[in-house]
Amino acid sequence: MLIHVILLSGCWSKKELTELAFVIGVGVDKKGGKYMITLQVVNPGNVAGATQKGGGSSGLPVTLYTSTGNTLVEASRKVSEKISRLTYYAHTNLIVIGEELAREGIKEVFDAIERNPQFRTTASVIIARQCTAKELLSVLTPIDKIPTNQMIKTLELTEKVWGENLNVHAGEVIEILSLGGKEVVMSSFRIAGNKMIGEQQNNLQSIEPYTFLHAGELAVFQKGKLISWMSGEQARGVLWLLNKIHQTAVTIDWQRTKEAISYKVVRSKTKVTAKINNGKPIISVMISMEGDIGEVLVPMDLTDPNNISLLEKKLQQEIQKEVQNTILYAQSKKSDIFGFGEVVHRLYPNEWKQLKKNWNDQYFSRLQVKVNVHAFIRRTGLRNKPYF
Amino acid sequence: MERVQLNARQLLVLAILFEHGSAMVIPLGIDARQDVWIAILCSMIFGAGLFFIYYRLFTYYPSLPLTSYSQQIVGTFFGKTIALLYILYFLYIAARVLRDFGELLLTFAYPETPLFILNAVMMMTVMYAAHKGIEVLARTGELFFFSLCLTGIVGLALVIIAGLIDVHRLQPILEEGWKRVFKVVFTQTLYVPFGEMIVFAMLFPYIDQPKKTKIVGWLAMFLSGINLASMMAINIAVLGSETVSRSTFPLLNTIREIRVANFLERLDVLFMIALVIGGFFKISIFFYAGVIGTADLFRVKEHQRLVYPLGISVLLLSIAIASNFSEHIKEGLNIVTLYMHIPLQVGIPLLLLLFAIIRHRSSFLFRKQEKK
Repeated sequence: MLIHVILLSGCWSKKELTELAFVIGVGVDKKGGKYMITLQVVNPGNVAGATQKGGGSSGLPVTLYTSTGNTLVEASRKVSEKISRLTYYAHTNLIVIGEELAREGIKEVFDAIERNPQFRTTASVIIARQCTAKELLSVLTPIDKIPTNQMIKTLELTEKVWGENLNVHAGEVIEILSLGGKEVVMSSFRIAGNKMIGEQQNNLQSIEPYTFLHAGELAVFQKGKLISWMSGEQARGVLWLLNKIHQTAVTIDWQRTKEAISYKVVRSKTKVTAKINNGKPIISVMISMEGDIGEVLVPMDLTDPNNISLLEKKLQQEIQKEVQNTILYAQSKKSDIFGFGEVVHRLYPNEWKQLKKNWNDQYFSRLQVKVNVHAFIRRTGLRNKPYF
Repeated sequence: MERVQLNARQLLVLAILFEHGSAMVIPLGIDARQDVWIAILCSMIFGAGLFFIYYRLFTYYPSLPLTSYSQQIVGTFFGKTIALLYILYFLYIAARVLRDFGELLLTFAYPETPLFILNAVMMMTVMYAAHKGIEVLARTGELFFFSLCLTGIVGLALVIIAGLIDVHRLQPILEEGWKRVFKVVFTQTLYVPFGEMIVFAMLFPYIDQPKKTKIVGWLAMFLSGINLASMMAINIAVLGSETVSRSTFPLLNTIREIRVANFLERLDVLFMIALVIGGFFKISIFFYAGVIGTADLFRVKEHQRLVYPLGISVLLLSIAIASNFSEHIKEGLNIVTLYMHIPLQVGIPLLLLLFAIIRHRSSFLFRKQEKK
């Protein structure tokens, strides 16, 4: 009993809160053949103080540390030369990868993250567009004081209500990198405005920050290397094909007026199936969605069900075109970001063994994809006819 | 032999906890990839067959443990050799599970603590349990069984609510055909955890309703088999077979994926509870079987006197058996299965049963002749 009391009451490697530095975001760049990591560390006193004092806080909410090393682990240990507390990664929510490193390849980056028990694979991953990860992490942001949180929340929100950006977790990236029939696609962030001002407190002294962070294009990878970017409707097509669209808005033409009616998608579901015909795979995509009318810019009668069904047809054509454009673009880049290969793998495991060797080059780029869209307009909002 | 009695419910609980033990946390039979759940269910059926062998032996000698009736079946010399082999086997497996347990805790929760300390703390609890005897262990089991069930249900509910399950990850079913599944069944999952039920051959004499033993044993195997299979299926549906096959503890990774409503996340502690409870019962049962086996073989009246020397040996053995985790796992898969599990779980019990049947037949005929 006595021995138990002695052994069970002690803590072997105890660390008090005041001995830890909470890393909230990690940036990875490559510089002269070495990895350069940037750690965004929370400054606990200033984060809590800022909300109580109501804005005008005395210090910055986060601090940045960088270090270089041949491996990520080496670099993260070397940070201790500059920081007085032990870095603690259990609350890391964001991993930023510099564009240059992404072009060289991201395959090796994730091993340390997956292996370390502190790290969570639910951390989001983004690419720093037209800047290094360090520059992206050094911009101060309004509203959400911690820039990393600002980026993650922005990403989650825009994925949910607009659907041109994709919030990808490290775990998903690792899974896709290990599969044969799917390629990585993830969002990027870029800096709008002057990089130098963004680092300073007076960035937030203006009603419109001089410099702010902006969710950007989708980064398309092939075999773990960044090869291209997709934006706008093309990017939304990717989300549609990945069944990631929650809500978005689609504008359609009406009679002779271009872009006349706005349709708000409320829910959407995508199903992808494959068939094999004469040794060639054929993919069929089935997208069904429900939504309301959000805005009408031409005089029309929305009480007439015929008009609604006409609109639904237009809508289906519009979305079909959008999605097919996306597929054509990905095919021209030979990168199966939609995971069509995995669909074939699941349904035709025997045939897949033949197909997988040259999937991207030979089969995916010439793949026949049928897109079917079912769009339903359920309601028209608080008014039926517009006032003009 | 202790003079205690276990009822059917206690046996059921002990067997279920025992089956889950370490099988729950390791990537059990992952060589079968997304078909691993089929492999586990198949092993369950074959495992039930193995259990029937142990049960038949028990019906011939309802008051004796394995180490005693082996002497009655094949004579004192061979019987004692077999008994000694089994005792060493039980203690060795107890050491292996202890090592597993220590390594798991060390890898993800206590990276700076020496392995010896973790193992020693666990072993002390196990020794204490063995000292108190099987009845105490069984009652503890009843208590912990519910907390484990609760953890399991909460975990499952959260995984479902978080929308992590993608059934497509379990496809294609039988990608490489039945061959791969049966290879895993007969080289891995049949022996761990199902064949390890052989250890209950040491505990059968304690049961107060011997008639229920068969049903209870099968029920325990059935429930554990289904639960383990669905657990592995969920792991794969959440993480994908590729990630599961690369993880040291897939269940931990699955639990870490849970994120519900922005505040129910990082529930690693659920995994810790499961690991510690499962590990404790598995080590305790093996260790207890080893202790009473030794007491029975060497005619030590009080098994308590053996607990400390054997416990310390198991503790030291758990440190000495391998120099790193990879070596430990490799030994477990290749050497232990071939040279220990197969002969001791299948070979010797089958032979013993054969001899027992012949013996009983002949003595039965003999008695018939006498009556005439």
